[in-house]
Amino acid sequence: MSTLLSLFPLVAMALPLLGAVLIAFRPPGRAHRIAFGVSLSVLLLTFGMMQRFDWDHGATYQFANSFAVLPEMGVHLSYGVDAVAMWLVILTAVLQPICVKASKTAVTENHRAFYAWLTALQAPMLGVFFARDLVFFYTCFEFTLVPMYVLISLFGSTNRKKAATKFFLYTFTGSIIALAGLVYVAFTATKNGTVAWTFDIDTLASAARGMTLSEQSWVLLALMCGFAVKVPLFPVHTWLPLAHTEAPTAGSVVLAGVLLKLGTYAIYRFVLPFVPAAVVEYAGVIATICVIGILYGGLICWVQRDVKKLVAYSSVAHLGFCMLGMFALNMVGGVGSVLYMINHGLSTGALFLCIGMIYERYHTRSMQEMEGLAKAMPVWGFFMVFFTMASVGLPGLNGFVSEFMCLLGAFQSGAIGIGRGGTLGTLGPWYAVIAGSGMIVAAIYLLYMVGKVVFGPLREPGDHGHGHGHEAHAEPNALPRDLTAREIGVLAPLALGCIVLGVVPTPFIKTLEPSVAAAISHAQVAAKGALSGQPGVHEIAEARP
Amino acid sequence: MNTALSNLCLAATTSGDFAPIGALTLYHFLFVSAAMFAVGVIGFVSRRNLIIMFLCTEMMFQAAGIALIAFSRYHLNHTGEVFVIFVLTIAAAEAALALALVVWTFRRKATLDAAAWSEMAG
Amino acid sequence: MSEPAGILGFMTLAAEGGHGAASSGGPAWFAAVPLLPLAASILCGLTIAFRVKTKLPAVITVAALAVSFGVTVAGFLSWSNAGHATQIADIYEWIGVSWGSDAGQTLSAKFGFYMDGLSWLWMLFVTGLATLIALYASEYMGHDVGKGYGRFFAAFALFVFSMACLVMGDNLILLYLGWEGVGLCSYLLIGYFFQKPSAVAAAKKAFIVNRIGDLGLAVGIFLTFVTFGTVEYGPLFEMVRQGVDAAGRPLSGQWQEWVIPCLLMIGAFGKSAQFPLYVWLPDAMEGPTPVSALIHAATMVTAGVYLIARTMPLFLLDDSHFALTIVAWTGTITALLAATIGMAQFDIKRIMAYSTVSQLGYMFAGLGVLTSVGAAFHVFTHAFFKALLFLACGAVMHGFAGQLDLRRLSGVQKMPGWRIVGLTMLVGCLNLAGFPLITSGYFSKDMILAQAFTTPGEVIAGSRWIGWILLFTAGLTAYYTFRVYFRVFVGPQHFEPGEELHAADHDHHGGHDDHGGHARDAAHGHDGAHDFHPHPPGWAINSVLVILAACSFLAIPTYFMMTEHHGWVGSMVHSSTAFVESPGSHHVEGAHAERLGTFLGMDPHKVMYYVSGLVGFIGIGIAWFLHLSGRTGAATSRADALLPMLGPVPRWAQNKWYVDEFYEAVIRLPLWVLASLFHWFDKLVIDGLVDLCGLLPRWFARAIRPSQSGVLQGYAVGMAGGLAVILVIVLIVMGANV
Repeated sequence: MSTLLSLFPLVAMALPLLGAVLIAFRPPGRAHRIAFGVSLSVLLLTFGMMQRFDWDHGATYQFANSFAVLPEMGVHLSYGVDAVAMWLVILTAVLQPICVKASKTAVTENHRAFYAWLTALQAPMLGVFFARDLVFFYTCFEFTLVPMYVLISLFGSTNRKKAATKFFLYTFTGSIIALAGLVYVAFTATKNGTVAWTFDIDTLASAARGMTLSEQSWVLLALMCGFAVKVPLFPVHTWLPLAHTEAPTAGSVVLAGVLLKLGTYAIYRFVLPFVPAAVVEYAGVIATICVIGILYGGLICWVQRDVKKLVAYSSVAHLGFCMLGMFALNMVGGVGSVLYMINHGLSTGALFLCIGMIYERYHTRSMQEMEGLAKAMPVWGFFMVFFTMASVGLPGLNGFVSEFMCLLGAFQSGAIGIGRGGTLGTLGPWYAVIAGSGMIVAAIYLLYMVGKVVFGPLREPGDHGHGHGHEAHAEPNALPRDLTAREIGVLAPLALGCIVLGVVPTPFIKTLEPSVAAAISHAQVAAKGALSGQPGVHEIAEARP
Repeated sequence: MNTALSNLCLAATTSGDFAPIGALTLYHFLFVSAAMFAVGVIGFVSRRNLIIMFLCTEMMFQAAGIALIAFSRYHLNHTGEVFVIFVLTIAAAEAALALALVVWTFRRKATLDAAAWSEMAG
Repeated sequence: MSEPAGILGFMTLAAEGGHGAASSGGPAWFAAVPLLPLAASILCGLTIAFRVKTKLPAVITVAALAVSFGVTVAGFLSWSNAGHATQIADIYEWIGVSWGSDAGQTLSAKFGFYMDGLSWLWMLFVTGLATLIALYASEYMGHDVGKGYGRFFAAFALFVFSMACLVMGDNLILLYLGWEGVGLCSYLLIGYFFQKPSAVAAAKKAFIVNRIGDLGLAVGIFLTFVTFGTVEYGPLFEMVRQGVDAAGRPLSGQWQEWVIPCLLMIGAFGKSAQFPLYVWLPDAMEGPTPVSALIHAATMVTAGVYLIARTMPLFLLDDSHFALTIVAWTGTITALLAATIGMAQFDIKRIMAYSTVSQLGYMFAGLGVLTSVGAAFHVFTHAFFKALLFLACGAVMHGFAGQLDLRRLSGVQKMPGWRIVGLTMLVGCLNLAGFPLITSGYFSKDMILAQAFTTPGEVIAGSRWIGWILLFTAGLTAYYTFRVYFRVFVGPQHFEPGEELHAADHDHHGGHDDHGGHARDAAHGHDGAHDFHPHPPGWAINSVLVILAACSFLAIPTYFMMTEHHGWVGSMVHSSTAFVESPGSHHVEGAHAERLGTFLGMDPHKVMYYVSGLVGFIGIGIAWFLHLSGRTGAATSRADALLPMLGPVPRWAQNKWYVDEFYEAVIRLPLWVLASLFHWFDKLVIDGLVDLCGLLPRWFARAIRPSQSGVLQGYAVGMAGGLAVILVIVLIVMGANV
């Protein structure tokens, strides 16, 4: 990889930061245009990266480079992307212009602040996926909180202050605990101070794997405390519905699309290769939490009255599937999990956009106030049903592939006693069966939402019997009843992505395979070690590479 | 005054360390310094007039300066003296700022009583 | 086949003749069968986007489906000429993950087709019927041109695509795609009148109940994959034939033997509306009638039958036939239950819906008692006559402004312009009632009934009882079928128009045909028959009805073709994975023959013609006596006098035995309560704990707050004091050191 190419990630991170500064110093009227231009150039840049990426060697870090920042402390600005990170970078870059465009009419005041922070937010998000150095990673991981905090607390709806504070403090507290775990790993890597400090992730990973099981378990606990909050997994999810509901539309989209993925990505990047023995030991516990989250989050969705909160809670259920696949510790589950990260970003992000469009028109999210909007807004209704179906996991759309693979992965995991399709791991059929009933729950709550909001006799918020909503034209932001060309343009790329990922997922899967194989390989070894003592499993386990 | 004092110190200790020159030893200087500091602290705590309080802080500064120079002489290096020059500079700047603030506070509340400003109460 | 068990000696596993000679390089042009409807669906979507206000969507759909049917026929002929060998055509790899090079270490689901007799049979009637029903719908949906018209045909064509994927797919995951795809289209089409709350609720119910079955199917697919290491039919059934898993270990005695079929069966029960998952189908009649005819009578609901037929080798793995026994009994119970409900309904479309559930029960019973040929043949004949019945009912509904109550219509056949509808309805009713000799429904139902008596009880527990119950149900079927015919189509002439479904949209109807004006009057006037004129069907509806009636007759000769395989359908099934050697099908002599069941001491296959014909006659006769003879008006009949004698039973039956209410009380409501509990638990306990953690620092701060007096001197004292304390500590420490 030539040095020139290794500049790509740096430029991709620098562009949003410079763009944010530019927005802050230019007239407010330009803010939207500059933000869109910056996001488009980052998108083009990442497409360029995608073009140059050597997909055949997806497990190796490409565009990699390293600059010493504090060499005495072992801190380097080192970065590089493997296939998984590459796809998440593309997801981040794709969502950004969509968020900017979607905010054109939604943001009515203080344009500069909004677009500057929204643009600035992109840099640390990309940084998390680029990072090959722990300090760099952690800095970016935490720095995402600041712009998001500002976006929620300045541009959110009524309860925004509380939501922003809770979001910040909750995830920050979790991250601090994760930092403690990571620092412990870094300390271990210094061999109790005899070797110079390093924060290179690969070095740390191999050092961490040398720890005893009890050390690994504590590190696992610390890391999960931090990253599970971000995902979010079941008992530590309560910041999410609040933050999602109160955030501006673009904030919700970024939150669902990328910020939650920082948690799953961090687990993928740190937990699996760092503490494989502990992961094998506790995969069942974590998977149980995921399964609880799937059913619990799903059922809570069903009784929501706020449509945005419903979608927010659905993230809890959806990411339960994602984490379940990851802790299956096999290829099907792992690839399914990574695909789930991307797919959830597309379909849930799009649902938030759809809801934002409603909110812009009617200034309410209450399902009791609106009904049958498909009559008034057929195009919107189409997209809403489309993304609901993507979210519900309809085969042919993106959600199905990842959900199916996550469940199958969980089913296979540890099922080597059953037949040839089983793999090493510690989950098993029951996890998949119980989590699978989440598919039914998902159908219940999502169709409940669609049946309430999209279908049924038309009832628009605000018209109390007189007039039939035609005065919507007279509103100050003057949006027509149905979607504008801009709004269709915002949703259409996501819809296209949903179809492409649903119809031809194999090329994506193939690019992910080497990278995922590398991530789960240590856990597989650990699982093999853990299981080899059991009777009946031995000879099958031995037959596997 | 400070310059004179340091000259005196310099003259008093040129011939070498530990040798008492006349009646003046390190302890004399330190005593003066401590006494000045104590006067400053007591004045700061007991008086409520902002200008007096400010003068008291200045006195504490000078007390610290005396101690620094005394030690500087005692150890025969110039670090303490250099520090004192910094302290003096900053004290001068601070004096300008502080007096401006005093004027501003007087304009706000028409009094120089420090007790008038207690918004920081928990 | 010389198993020591003896009783099973005459049964073989599926189709040595068929897929053994599978050729993998099948012709890719088969892909046109699903892809043409998909293209039509997309084009119809574009007509909506471009606001086309003509019947263009119908033209596109009918043309695409007709070509698709043509391709199917061509494919079928080429398959026949090629000697009935299974053809596999892979288009591209849809889902592929690999984690090793051993067998079972690759998950591969191709977008590819597995074409054997079963696939061709299904595709022939699916595309054929879809074409006809699309033609019918082009007229039926005429009210909605420029509004929902494009949406209707987009979903309609998408349905055919999904159904083709389901049927033609060469692996279980592609089948699952079709399976959920038809569910989606069913959802969209049931909810076609999306402003009607009942339609929305029915659509939702259909999707969710189907999802329960889908979970069974999905888990079945998982287990199949984990056991066999593949989801593709070719290698899968080869392994099943040898009775081994991918590692070559024998499957006999393994628990997967009966668990896999049971899971697949749950999926089939959901999609094919079998007990206890049948509740969605009657509600699904909220959709436009062509939808009911195609999706909820002829094709989609037979997907469950297809699934079990397709995976028949998996069902036969288990020597005790555990899953097949459940299939047989579930089918039987469903047939009886739905027939009793159907007898008490007044909405003719709902009666047809329950009759569909009931007939699907027959098909499952047929599969269960090991006559996949009978089941497939019944699917085949039922597709024609049930579509015909629905379309005839739909014509009535269309013409009488949505009227479906058999108490408010009478003698329709004699009204001007209604002769064809009446006669074709009669044909459909005769088929459904199993009128002897001249109807195809008679022959197909007989195959199942006779086999139920033939199959020994040791193979399928209680198979004789299944036979008796199904025979009794056949009588009920004849009764409720002709109850509709005698009440609505013959007898004294009377009608009351219904609440026009399209009433809300009537202000756009200026350009409708010459009857549009009357329809508008009916919708707005609400004063009954005075200024309402029935609106007889036009050429499209009539011709489709005639063609379907003809088809239902043409299905009879197929029964007498290729008698060595029990008809043409039998020959198709024979060259497919669905084939199962039914007990007694070759009239084995000797020891085996003694074990076969008999009917009143005779060979059931010979006697059943007479018995079931007689039962059919009795049913029709009772219907004639109670509902036609001596009837003077539309609203009353002799049956009314009979009802009080039965006490509350008819009311219970009319209320569907309160099964919906039972589910509501036992499943939905507790689940909802649980969800609400979770909601409050989340809000109060989990989030409460989080907020509590947030409050702790605040409380602590409040405790130490008074130390901040706000007085400048106070802070100074604090500083000085602190300094003093530090100095003292330093002195003490240093003093200690010194």
